[in-house]
Amino acid sequence: MSAGVRLEGLRKSYGAVEVIRGVDLDIEPQEFVVFVGPSGCGKSTLLRMIAGLEEITGGDLYIGERRMNDTDASRRGIAMVFQSYALYPHMTVRENMGFALKYAGVKKPEIKAQVDEAARILGLDQLMDRRPKDLSGGQRQRVAIGRAIVRHPEVFLFDEPLSNLDAELRVQMRIEIARLHSELKSTIVYVTHDQVEAMTLADKIVVLRDGRIEQVGTPLDLYDDPDNLFVAGFIGSPKMNFLPAELSGGALTLVEHGGQTVPLPPLGRAPQEGERVTLGIRPEHFRKEGSAALEVDVEIVENLGGETYVYARQAGSDVLTIATGGARGLRQGDRMTARFDPSDALLFNREGLRIR
Amino acid sequence: MAQTRLGRAENRAGWAFVMPALVLVGIFMIYPILWSLWMSLQTGRGMTTSFGGLANIQRLFADPIFLTALSNTMIFLAIQVPIMIMLALVFAVMLNDPKTKFRGLFRTAIFLPAVTSLVAYSILFKSIFSNDGLATTIVTFFGGPEISWLGEPFWAKVVIILAITWRWTGYNMIFYLAALQNIDRSIYEAARIDGVPARAQFFRITIPMLKPVILFTTIISTIGTLQLFDEVQNITQGGPSNATLTLSQYIFNLTFRFMPSYGYAATVSYVIVVLVAVLSVIQFWIARDRK
Repeated sequence: MSAGVRLEGLRKSYGAVEVIRGVDLDIEPQEFVVFVGPSGCGKSTLLRMIAGLEEITGGDLYIGERRMNDTDASRRGIAMVFQSYALYPHMTVRENMGFALKYAGVKKPEIKAQVDEAARILGLDQLMDRRPKDLSGGQRQRVAIGRAIVRHPEVFLFDEPLSNLDAELRVQMRIEIARLHSELKSTIVYVTHDQVEAMTLADKIVVLRDGRIEQVGTPLDLYDDPDNLFVAGFIGSPKMNFLPAELSGGALTLVEHGGQTVPLPPLGRAPQEGERVTLGIRPEHFRKEGSAALEVDVEIVENLGGETYVYARQAGSDVLTIATGGARGLRQGDRMTARFDPSDALLFNREGLRIR
Repeated sequence: MAQTRLGRAENRAGWAFVMPALVLVGIFMIYPILWSLWMSLQTGRGMTTSFGGLANIQRLFADPIFLTALSNTMIFLAIQVPIMIMLALVFAVMLNDPKTKFRGLFRTAIFLPAVTSLVAYSILFKSIFSNDGLATTIVTFFGGPEISWLGEPFWAKVVIILAITWRWTGYNMIFYLAALQNIDRSIYEAARIDGVPARAQFFRITIPMLKPVILFTTIISTIGTLQLFDEVQNITQGGPSNATLTLSQYIFNLTFRFMPSYGYAATVSYVIVVLVAVLSVIQFWIARDRK
């Protein structure tokens, strides 16, 4: 029931402006793929091209084995859930969910059975006769998902479906979408700008920037092994710390930290002497022990209870974010030693590409 | 309820603010309405009137000219308003489609008649439909018969209907365009992906969502057509032989053209009021929320 999707050199331009610049991607059947990137990166446009809402300027789109470039949106075997829910405001929940089936030639009793089934899966049974305006944001989004489910699509497309919900509901719906995916076993392509959604939901994350794919991989691949500074900075919250450094005498001299040196992370190919690089350390990689140490002054302490984030710097350096599990006693102005293990740190060259 | 000093001061200030408006509304609206109601109970001509009770209402039913004016007005209403509303809707949907070329130009062109000088356009229509006018030239060019547009009762009505439709379609269209632009585009995208045909999108999505605006424009147009005066006065003067005479024009004639019969004219005015009220109630009832 679920199909794969293949993009080959997909391009889209509006006049002279190219917004999608050659995207190649393979999406397996039943895979949950998340497009993530900053606003304006083209992730929604790419999704709308798969949906058939935007024309494809160049390249090929396959859903299943069929080339779909010129196929009408309604014949691509897809269903889409929109950020604004896009429910028909004058119809009840039942009518909203069954409306499209009428035009697909489905018989009335069959429509009822399918709508009831979707309502059961989504827990909408009690709301079937309400109008969208009488529903909460989360319920509306469930109806929108229900409307997609009843069509039994081969591929589900989600366009920032949780962006209009408050934080608590977002977490709840995220879990529900994950549950739905394991229940329906369908292919899902999901667009979000929220990297937490991407990390928690995806089998495979596609990081986009300026209409190009920066990296494709499982959430932990991207977290542990980013290809470049952009992906390293985009995935993970709070953001990875980037420290400008220079290679001298087999160690890294931290330019902004008073020329302090730290050992080089283990690398297959070491950079040349004197080369300018960027050292990346995730906030949670600072520990009590470690062969590398930075002396910093605490500026702000955020106590979240279980976790404490310390924002600290050395005179003249950028602010470092340090996650400390237990350190509750810290105050502004305190001096602390932030230690880390060089093998946890990542190194990037001047162009922002990873040195492995 | 005992009033505090602050409450009394606020009350005084409040009354001071609304008083000028109240006085004006009172003098120019409420007083004339009440006075015309009183007048509608008076019979007689010119300044010599006497209280006649419901005599004017009896006169209505025996007055063939009134009945002609009433039936003309209802014919205009029943034919022109639905045609205009449908046309305005179709134009609005077409001009709301991002794929339509020259949208701004068409929008302006269709709206322009609503702000054109009434007399100028009436003269233009008169000349187009005169015996040697453009309309006759075109019809005869295609082998049609020579029609005396303004001389035959049927065609004179057609010309009036064409004129008011031409003038007011763009005006109504603007309301629909505004409403359409407020509809979330993704609703139509969802319908497109779900395979809902264009016709069904129009009748099952667009029309229901525009229902409040359609109701509003229908009532406004109904009121406008019931008060139809300017076009008829300028193009046909009610002729030929009262075939395009409207209620408003008849009121005008009763007051200013014939020996003034203020009381009876006021009664005919109240016929329009009652018609507007009844038709509006019916329209609200038809458009009510059935759930």
